[in-house]
Amino acid sequence: MMQNEKINPYQFLILVIFFTIGTGILIVPSVLATEARQDAWIAAIVGIVIGLLVIWLFTSIALWFPHLTYIQINEKIFGTWIGKAVSVLFVAMATLYTSSLLYYSATFIMTNMMPNTPVVALNILMIAIVVMGVRLGLETIARSAEIFIVVFFILFVILAVFISPQIKFENLQPVFEVGTKTIVQSSIYFITSSSVNAIVLLMIFPAMVNKVKQAKKSFLLGNLIGGIFILIFTFLSISVVGADDTARQIYPSYELAKRINVGDFVQRIEELMGFLWFIALYFKTILYFYASVLGIAQILNLKDYRPLTLPLGMLAVILSLVIYPNVVYQKEVEQSTEIYFTITIGLFFPLLLMIVYAFRKNKLKKELKSP
Amino acid sequence: MKKCIVTLLILTLFLSGCWDRRELNELGIAMALGIDKIENEYVVSAQVVVPSEVSMRASTGRSAVTLFHATGDTVYEAFRKMTKVSPRKIYPGHLQILVISEELAKEGIADSLELLSRDWELRSDFYVVVAKDLTASEVLNVTTTIESIPANKMFNALKVSEKNWAGTEGVILDELVTNLISDGNEAVLTGIQVFGDKETGSSKQNTDSITPTTRIQYDNLAVFKADQLVGWLTEEESRGYADITGKVKKTVTSIPCPKEGNITIEVLKYHSKIKGSINQGDPEIDLIIEAEGNIGEVLCSIDIMKQETIDELEKNYEAEVKEIIHQTIESVQKQYQSDIFGFGEAIHRSNPKEWNKMKEHWDERFSDLTVNVHIDMNIRRIGTVNNSFLEKIKD
Repeated sequence: MMQNEKINPYQFLILVIFFTIGTGILIVPSVLATEARQDAWIAAIVGIVIGLLVIWLFTSIALWFPHLTYIQINEKIFGTWIGKAVSVLFVAMATLYTSSLLYYSATFIMTNMMPNTPVVALNILMIAIVVMGVRLGLETIARSAEIFIVVFFILFVILAVFISPQIKFENLQPVFEVGTKTIVQSSIYFITSSSVNAIVLLMIFPAMVNKVKQAKKSFLLGNLIGGIFILIFTFLSISVVGADDTARQIYPSYELAKRINVGDFVQRIEELMGFLWFIALYFKTILYFYASVLGIAQILNLKDYRPLTLPLGMLAVILSLVIYPNVVYQKEVEQSTEIYFTITIGLFFPLLLMIVYAFRKNKLKKELKSP
Repeated sequence: MKKCIVTLLILTLFLSGCWDRRELNELGIAMALGIDKIENEYVVSAQVVVPSEVSMRASTGRSAVTLFHATGDTVYEAFRKMTKVSPRKIYPGHLQILVISEELAKEGIADSLELLSRDWELRSDFYVVVAKDLTASEVLNVTTTIESIPANKMFNALKVSEKNWAGTEGVILDELVTNLISDGNEAVLTGIQVFGDKETGSSKQNTDSITPTTRIQYDNLAVFKADQLVGWLTEEESRGYADITGKVKKTVTSIPCPKEGNITIEVLKYHSKIKGSINQGDPEIDLIIEAEGNIGEVLCSIDIMKQETIDELEKNYEAEVKEIIHQTIESVQKQYQSDIFGFGEAIHRSNPKEWNKMKEHWDERFSDLTVNVHIDMNIRRIGTVNNSFLEKIKD
């Protein structure tokens, strides 16, 4: 298991930001507004806070063994066979979500830009660059992320500044109409998709990061920054488009970009803004994919994960074609089944891990010292 | 290096978006759409640009646009069926204006808007207007001066009049849909009319003369209840609507002089705020208006160089606008019971709990709602002359 690549905490921070934003930037405002209406932005804040707690849980698990990936920790604590079984589920999640994200990006393009293009063509294009990135290694991914965060940030500022004249604060009132319970409920999807799913980042942190202590801060900070991006998008969607319309739109933030019109001159730039989502979607996909190939390699004790990338990439494309029969099914599944699935793998198993660890602590520590 | 170039060349193959490429000469760009309903079938008319006539060089002097019609059970069906008459597929991405006939509006406009909010090619930045007393296709069938594309004329005329006169309302699709579903805010749309002979209006000769025999003109606002047109405001009420909702950007208002004659005030800044409250279980609205303006025209003998006169004029303006506002509200309350001003939304914003109790029968509550108007007008400048020369003539 010779993975000598190390990324620094700053690069890790950027990867976490991209992972947190990921798909959320496109659809989370809509999901939040469905239940929480004009209080969606409060729900986003609640989501960020709870999300940070989840991330804190992950980091504390990861820091028991600063040189192991999540798969290896599983085996260490649960024992080889149970550990492998849990890891298989973990890898299944990562693979499934890779395909899910491929489906996402293809659906987005087909709904808004190119309705006649075959899904396969779009998916193959996407997975091609994902596979390429993963083959080149984590360091390459991290460095490209460093470049793209600048592009992302500039586009984001352009979007936010140009749309801000259209903010209507009336759209946010009355504040706190729906009550605390609804607000927390509606934030669950946001928490699972942005923070609980971040368990796949435990394949990178802490084993592939130098300066682990700083990286822990990056993990939390990245999640916070990503959450703030989504909060801003939610806020803008609600205040510009209105709660009703935000809930009705499938891609409210795309609608936001469509509305940009500065002096009848800067307008119709939504396709340019599409880059925002593709950058975020790409990095989220690549992190899922990286976790799944590296996970399989480690479960099977392979020396290198690279031979797995192409076959798994093909598998992901096929899976993305059959994973959801239509967008309605996708929306339904992602807000019910996938939430439970994610919580099982991203929250239940880590907690189980903690309990088992508490019992086996002393023995494990001896093992660590003895060899 | 060679490798690089070869890779780039291969990659360019992916850039064209092969399946969805559309050349400009395959598209019929629709600038205006009209929707009518005849015997349970939608009639969709599209005003499509004739590219050769728009270009400066190749123009042969024929009409710059052409009109296609098609009928269908649904709007989308009719829209697609248009390919039977049009040589090109209609592309609605540059749509400027949507005209709905009054008849259809009385039946309900929601059904015809669904496609427009769902279709990906459409953007929601076009205006929606109602054709008063005639069908939508008749409106789209009139040539216009200055703008060779009538849709552009309709779009710009509405935009300009909304900005400078304030008796019309440029309502874009999203606003309209938001108002249609909102409990405490009903929709209004501007009416559009055709004056003159509808037959000759479509020919090029119409615009050859200085005064076109047939012309398109905006009318007053149409009041909606849910998605059905229930009536029309008068011109004064239309302006009163703009005064209440703060849609005024710039306008001129004539007010009576202290003795006789009129003075016109040019309003340059206008801001209104609707505040809702619950007073002993009853909803109440406070309308707070701040305006700023200049004296634009003096048609009476008055010494405007005195501070007292200015103060008086300010008061007169306030009284005048207050009067218009009260009349507008009263007539809407009595005739239509439709909350087009968004008073319900204001109550909702200020007191969501009480609002939930009364929103079911808001229309009745609205019709005996108390509205308190507070206006503050400031006259800042008086133009380029002091007292009017009229005074000297009269002496």
